[in-house]
Amino acid sequence: MATTPLHELSIAEAGARLRAGTLTSIALTEHALARIAALDPLLHAFVLVTRERALADAARADHELKSGTDKGPLHGIPYGLKDIYDTAGIRTTCHSKLMADHVPAADAAVEAKLRAGGAVLLGKLATHEFAVGGPSFDLPFPPARNPWNRDHFTGGSSSGSGAAVAAGLLRLALGSDTGGSIRGPAGYCGVVGLKPTYGRVSRRGVFPLSYTLDHCGPLARTVEDAALAMQVIAGHDPLDPASADVAVPDFSAGPDRDLKGLRLALPRKFFAAAEGASPEVVAAMDAAVQALARLGAAIDEIVLPECDLFNACGRVILTAEAFAVHADNLKSRPLDYGRYTYQRLVPGATLTGPDLVQALRLRRALADVINEEVLARHDAIITANALAPATRLDSFSADVSFKMPLQTMPFNVTGNPVLAVPIGFSAGGLPLGMQIVGRAFDEPTCLRIGAAYEAAATWAQQWPKLELAEAI
Amino acid sequence: MSTDDKSALEHEFDVMLARAGIAVPPDRRAGVMGGCHEMRRFAAVIRREPLPATSEPSNVFSLKPYVRTD
Repeated sequence: MATTPLHELSIAEAGARLRAGTLTSIALTEHALARIAALDPLLHAFVLVTRERALADAARADHELKSGTDKGPLHGIPYGLKDIYDTAGIRTTCHSKLMADHVPAADAAVEAKLRAGGAVLLGKLATHEFAVGGPSFDLPFPPARNPWNRDHFTGGSSSGSGAAVAAGLLRLALGSDTGGSIRGPAGYCGVVGLKPTYGRVSRRGVFPLSYTLDHCGPLARTVEDAALAMQVIAGHDPLDPASADVAVPDFSAGPDRDLKGLRLALPRKFFAAAEGASPEVVAAMDAAVQALARLGAAIDEIVLPECDLFNACGRVILTAEAFAVHADNLKSRPLDYGRYTYQRLVPGATLTGPDLVQALRLRRALADVINEEVLARHDAIITANALAPATRLDSFSADVSFKMPLQTMPFNVTGNPVLAVPIGFSAGGLPLGMQIVGRAFDEPTCLRIGAAYEAAATWAQQWPKLELAEAI
Repeated sequence: MSTDDKSALEHEFDVMLARAGIAVPPDRRAGVMGGCHEMRRFAAVIRREPLPATSEPSNVFSLKPYVRTD
């Protein structure tokens, strides 16, 4: 009988074996470390591997589980953190020369929850510099590469998180999403990404890019894995001023594998008529919509305000807030920033106070359209993630602008929860993705829809073909 | 946009950057100017949408979710 390789076990499957005593966290961790040692030189997903800490955490988890202490669904499960999450005593660089020697004294709130839940930290993952630059070759670490084709972009800025999960180096990685930085890498790398509702997961101890747009969340191999991660990391944090004091629901999708009774809004023109929309993306979205209808969902085609309006609103807010964060260093240490980061941050100096206020006024109006018009009548919105598959890494010019073929910013502007799921591959073998947008704090419905679709499709069973991977 | 218009706009950007204390390294100027033009376009796009004077910014605390409608 063929044995499932350890990295292909879901978090729930690995957890069941850990509790049954047929698998140890040490074995799971050593397997992951071996894959990282063999494959990461090709992918550059990690900026730091915390081998000794991981093995110590794993040994502790094994001892605790054996002695009847169960800390929850991630107990004994390896994970990685985007390198903007503070880790006490462990270097946290933001992938930047400016933070090359930064060793935080305290853990980010999410990291503290993961540690308390008995999870095993394998290391820190590549990001675009300060979650805004990149993909860059002028930083202390190289950019991560897409496991489906290493000449192509992973998406960003949670680039290492997407690459590591897609390649099976980890089942779970934490990312952050200010304009699509969880959903972009999830879509381009063919994994699941969840941007929770603004306020659902604490941002404390995560280096800020844009205070009112930043969201923390998981990238995982499957919807179920993402749901288990949410069960551990969600919850009110009185030390994060944006944290919402709302109850943490059961994120598990449950046994329902049909979508009867759900009404979904499809803004087809939003992506299909957008400049640069790839016919492959449109065809994959059409097929995914048909699959959702076969599962019992009622689909209504709707019209949203144009994506450019959401993007402009989000970019003005992001750039103004990010400039406020970085102004001093941009003045005093300009050349310590990578070229792309510098070029994206400095234009914030040319925005005016009225520009920002107008963006914030528009933000409320756009959120009202999504929440009071569309989601008042529908359980979720389904739309494309990116308009085209991942571009080549060498296609970025030195003077690259903000233009990215993503449709993710609208839901940073509105703060709604969004689950990104794979919906197929381009003719060139690159992943394509869909967004499932829910009502505020209704991640469970997004996860239910994603889990039903994932079970009906087969994308989660496909793995990138990487040299040496079969041997590990 | 004419060359003169572009030049005038870039002069305006230079003044705003200088006011903020930013001295752009010469080899990054083209990329920064591209970003500034894009910001100016974004600022124009968000003014395209007509909003009444009573339309409040999103960072003004809203009681709407807590107002009883029954």
